[in-house]
Amino acid sequence: MKDLNKLIKEAQQFELQAVTRRHFLKDCVAGIGGIALGSLLTSCNGWGQSKSAEKLDLNALNPLVPKPPHFPGKAKSVIYLHMAGAPSQLELFDYKPALQKLHNQPCPESLLAGKKFAFIRGIPKMLGPQATFKQYGASGAWVSDHLPHFSKVVDEVSFLKAVHTDQFNHGPAQLFMHTGSARLGRPSIGSWVTYGLGSENSNLPGFVVLTSGGKTPDAGKSVWGSGFLPSVYQGVQCRSKGDPVLYIADPEGMGRDMKRDLIDAINNVNKTEYDTFKDPETLSRIAQYEMAYKMQVAVPEVMDINNEPAYIHELYGTEPGKESFANNCLLARKLVEQGVRFVQLFDWGWDSHGTNPADSIDLGFKNKCREIDRPMTALIMDLKQRGLLEETLVVWGGEFGRTPMQENRDNSDMPFLGRDHHTDAYTIWMAGGGVRNGISYGQTDDIGFAGVEGRSSVHDVHATMLHLLGFDHEKFTYDFQGRPFRLTDVEGELIQAII
Amino acid sequence: MKKKILVLILLALVLIGTSILTFGKKEPVDFSADVKPILNKHCITCHGGVKKNGGLSFLFENEAFAKAESGKSAIIRGDGEHSELVKRLISDDPELRMPYNAPKLNDDEIDILKRWIDEGAKWGEHWAYTTPQETEIPKPFSLLSIFGVKPKGVNNTIDFFVLDKMKEKKLSFADEADKALLLRRVYLDLIGIPPSLAEIQAFEADQRDDAYTRRVDSLLASQKYGEKWASWWLDMARYADTKGYEKDGSRTIWTYRDWVIKALNQDMPYDEFTIEQLAGDLLPEPTKDQLIATAFHRNTMNNDEGGTDSEEFRMAAVLDRLNTTYQVWLSTTFECVQCHSHTYDPFKFEEYYKSLAFFNNTRDEDTQGDHPKLRFYTAQDEKRIDSIKRWLSTTGNASLVKSTDLFLHTLEPKVHAHYSDQIVDGALYDTKWLGVRTGGSARLRAINLDNKQQFFMNFWTGAVGGKLEIHLDKPSGPILAVIDLPSTNGRQVIQAPILATPGVHDLYLVFKNPSVAHGQPICMIEWFAFRENFPHEKSLDNMNFQKTFLQLVNMQPEGVPIMIENPKDMHRKTNVFIRGNRLSLGAEVQPTVPASLNSFPKGAQRNRLGFAQWIVSKENPLTARTLVNRVWAQLFGRGLVEPLGDMGTQSIPPIHRELLDYLALDLMNTKKWSIKKLIREMVLSGTYKQSSSLNNSNFEKDPQNYYLARGPRFRLSAEQIRDQALAVSGLLSNKMYGPSVMPYQPDGVWMTVYSGESWVKSAGEDQYRRGIYTFLKRTSPYPSFVSFDASSREVCLVDRIRTNTPLQALATLNDPVYLEAAKHLGAIMEKEGNGNLRNGIRIGYKRAMLKDADEKKLKELEHLYQKALIDFNKKPDSAAKFLNEDLAKSNVKVLPSKAAYMLVANAVLNLDEFLTKS
Repeated sequence: MKDLNKLIKEAQQFELQAVTRRHFLKDCVAGIGGIALGSLLTSCNGWGQSKSAEKLDLNALNPLVPKPPHFPGKAKSVIYLHMAGAPSQLELFDYKPALQKLHNQPCPESLLAGKKFAFIRGIPKMLGPQATFKQYGASGAWVSDHLPHFSKVVDEVSFLKAVHTDQFNHGPAQLFMHTGSARLGRPSIGSWVTYGLGSENSNLPGFVVLTSGGKTPDAGKSVWGSGFLPSVYQGVQCRSKGDPVLYIADPEGMGRDMKRDLIDAINNVNKTEYDTFKDPETLSRIAQYEMAYKMQVAVPEVMDINNEPAYIHELYGTEPGKESFANNCLLARKLVEQGVRFVQLFDWGWDSHGTNPADSIDLGFKNKCREIDRPMTALIMDLKQRGLLEETLVVWGGEFGRTPMQENRDNSDMPFLGRDHHTDAYTIWMAGGGVRNGISYGQTDDIGFAGVEGRSSVHDVHATMLHLLGFDHEKFTYDFQGRPFRLTDVEGELIQAII
Repeated sequence: MKKKILVLILLALVLIGTSILTFGKKEPVDFSADVKPILNKHCITCHGGVKKNGGLSFLFENEAFAKAESGKSAIIRGDGEHSELVKRLISDDPELRMPYNAPKLNDDEIDILKRWIDEGAKWGEHWAYTTPQETEIPKPFSLLSIFGVKPKGVNNTIDFFVLDKMKEKKLSFADEADKALLLRRVYLDLIGIPPSLAEIQAFEADQRDDAYTRRVDSLLASQKYGEKWASWWLDMARYADTKGYEKDGSRTIWTYRDWVIKALNQDMPYDEFTIEQLAGDLLPEPTKDQLIATAFHRNTMNNDEGGTDSEEFRMAAVLDRLNTTYQVWLSTTFECVQCHSHTYDPFKFEEYYKSLAFFNNTRDEDTQGDHPKLRFYTAQDEKRIDSIKRWLSTTGNASLVKSTDLFLHTLEPKVHAHYSDQIVDGALYDTKWLGVRTGGSARLRAINLDNKQQFFMNFWTGAVGGKLEIHLDKPSGPILAVIDLPSTNGRQVIQAPILATPGVHDLYLVFKNPSVAHGQPICMIEWFAFRENFPHEKSLDNMNFQKTFLQLVNMQPEGVPIMIENPKDMHRKTNVFIRGNRLSLGAEVQPTVPASLNSFPKGAQRNRLGFAQWIVSKENPLTARTLVNRVWAQLFGRGLVEPLGDMGTQSIPPIHRELLDYLALDLMNTKKWSIKKLIREMVLSGTYKQSSSLNNSNFEKDPQNYYLARGPRFRLSAEQIRDQALAVSGLLSNKMYGPSVMPYQPDGVWMTVYSGESWVKSAGEDQYRRGIYTFLKRTSPYPSFVSFDASSREVCLVDRIRTNTPLQALATLNDPVYLEAAKHLGAIMEKEGNGNLRNGIRIGYKRAMLKDADEKKLKELEHLYQKALIDFNKKPDSAAKFLNEDLAKSNVKVLPSKAAYMLVANAVLNLDEFLTKS
């Protein structure tokens, strides 16, 4: 490593040290072309140059090096819990006694006029809440009996009760929720945040994705893709089975010492190559091999929950070795504790149409609630007891809501109770990271069909998240094909009530 | 020496002369170069395509000089001082001073705008929207040139242009690259895999003047050339082996990939290449290959998710086709115009929809079956089709021959189940298939029944005794047909005659089968078709050919999705989408190209074919330039115009615009659109052949190499890295074409929802095929390719950003593919080293890098071997595991050395110089 640092010092003679061609080109197109939008373009000077020359070290060759946002943000990292399939707000947080009274009555046609649903056809019947509700905590938040643990931490949480989207199919809606666009090709919010802030731990990926429920989300890996941002900012999926990160394990028969020797040999030969060609990209390669070596230790270490104390396992309900939402919640805490910027959880299995017991609102849905109730509560409590909640933004939600009507797929009765996809109203909650405590913002009508006040769009949610991290969402841009792009496109307003 | 001095004196005189002439007189302001960048930077966000604050926009000339809301024009030609534009820039009142709420323009900028107005405010067109300009080749004046001596580094015309610009920075060409490095470079660039050692040695020994040219020509003639360059094109074509979106099921479209490889290998001229892909189906009597070519635009995604609106995703695909076409051929970000006029470039909102109208009339409708597909019959079945056609032609009805051929090969035109409406007691199951319960009905709206007396239906049911009644104009209207519905074994197409009823009618389909349980549909229907009668009714021939026809229709041959235009009676209208929202329709538009570009070719049809002809017209300012720029970027790592995705007012003013225009004109006029000739000229240039070392005095003058005073040097692509490792270890398969293959991939990478499909490791040599043949699942692409910045092919990608990440290191260090390659390379080192470690390593290194390792490198690798050998000697079981061999079945004596060689090879395959084209 000594040699390496010497070499890197040598690299300082270059006017554009450590600013590899790609950074220069991709990040500075605007600067050269004549439009200067987005203060992030300070990165135009390169991650290397913005630091003083003396400080130049391995980090300068790392595109994930920590960078300041527009203004000091309250949140430093994000844990986003996405319930893929879209949970029913009407059985969890949006209490509608009036809907109970309408149970089994045909839906008034006025409600259906001009609306499109994925599966509801003709005239469906109303479906009363399949849960009982009570108010909890000092804030008096309504929570259903499906979430007995969560009801104890409601005062740490702010609810957005009238979120709406414009996509009623899973794939596009998940893309919209995570990239701000229902069409492919845009970077995910985790990529944006990692691009903007870098990461605090260079031995771990800056943006980690954990999945549970046996499936990846409907929209595929694009929900954590980097779109037009460099691929270094895409989410890295850490898995519970097999290698936690693909190819992270050394080949069988190779010990750590041997890997060290291998990396040393590679890097030493690369150094002589550098001496000949003086290509800064070679230095970057040396740095990446060093990081890979460290990552091989750091990732399995952080992904191992065996050594957590018993009370922690008790708190989360974790069982080492399983692929579960509980394990992923504990891992999320460990990851942000170690400086990972963005942890994205996807839990699959929330699409309660009523076609079979597992996806029915009265059976399978309850099981899903049981699976998440304790761990997500534990996550908030655990972050709090470690003093991390203040700087960690936790977001929970689905890609859309569910209808107050019972689904009547193909215009016939369903074998089980279910609700169809619904774009007009759903609940998202946030906690920590500068979010106010115990707020319930937004309200839906008497049957939970649509927001009547305090409506929040997906762009509003994104704008607010970026604000908490220290970004003005209108100025947080990236130039692609001649124009600046934003996570929030041309929309998005801060949800002032919760910040 | 004397000659040189003379030249210098002459040069000096010329310089002095020109500077006297221009001294003290400022150049007139140029709109494109000087004014437009200022307007784009400071003004156009509020006064442009999106917003027109105060009723003022600077996007188009007529808008900029029109009266604004104030009733005044912002610009008075010839009078900068009194023009509101200038007054507002210097006003002291913060409410009036522009840009509003933003820093004042600097004095230079204000001066430019003022002078521009003073000089008459002449509007200009951006260079990208005017045809390429012929320029004189800037050959430096030299007496030596009379004797045919070219300046150092100059090999062809490209170099004169490059040298001319170098002078600005006092740069000169670097030395030519070392022979072996140059040969490796050109192999990797032209065929994607490195030369063998023997090829290097032969080249080094070849003293002929044209030794290099000969290599270039043979590489361009190699079949591997198409395999290499296809990945460039397939990124733009967003080619993948699955349909995308949630279900992301497989799509068999590899015949298109093979078409691209073949077309590139045949050096199909780019204009033809373009026309066949955009509109092959509209050519007269299209060949099978011309139809396969149209799969270019069937690579759009298809949404099979339950509950999706097919029309929404049909339109998404059509919009994608339009945006992709403008991006691929014209480097234009046309998608910006979907919701509003272009912010910066001269494209108006309505023009988007006028272009869209060219693309909005194909038969594909986001159906799960990916219809229409070109059906590949066996030769024998093709003969049966021929016999039907021959018999039909005897009747003299040419259009019936044509429509029969089309139907047998594409099953078009047909009416998809999702077109049905007014469904009573039934539904569109999963929003895809029509299912009606007994007594229920569905409507098919506005069906043209002129000459149509044969009804076809693709359906399936387990129930017997079903009946379908077709009623005319209303559910209780006259019955056109009563059709028995047999129980089927899977999907079946039935045919039934209907009463001749000319005209356009609504048809009501009433289904009856009292034996089917309550609430259950009688059958499921995928599509309907209405066709003409075959001639000679009631003849034996008629019966026989009718029967053959239906048999053929009922076959399920392999196929490929293609483009088929709507027949006249199914023609779709195209409307403006207000604010880009397809549910909010504005005025109807006709197919027209944007006014700021070349005019539509005279006599061309107003369809995709005409549009394709417009693209490859020599008058189109962007097509040839775009191709030149993209090919240049493939070889040099960066385009002559950046970014690659945007050639217009937002691109960085190019240093080498004259070179771009020269190459573009030459491509069209001399090279007749030959891509191979274009590549050939580039790789034969001295510019390309330079050493890529940054270790010289030129570096500080131009660290980013904008002036091209050194050769290209950048990391190889995902496919090249894999192909190269397999090639140098002797594993690479030469097998070409065919279905995509599945090399080793860790378990559990595919966990897609609602899909029974899985990654099944291919057998035998299919494990070691070139990367271009690797199965690409859009929601879960081959992981090590993704790490190396390959595209997921969900959308068109014109420029892969090259990153450098630890995940890449993990892939080449630990992915079993690279370990296997290391094992084989290690074995070669051990064998050919003949018991001499240094020789073995030297050979392995040279096999990979194609040059000799210097002492330092040899020592490092020897050291690695020796340490590993000690370790493996202590633990032969580790050696066996590392080699992926069974300890019990192996010779324990040889294992440690074999494993240590493998480790050295593992290092070699990870060296920067191996991963880099230098």
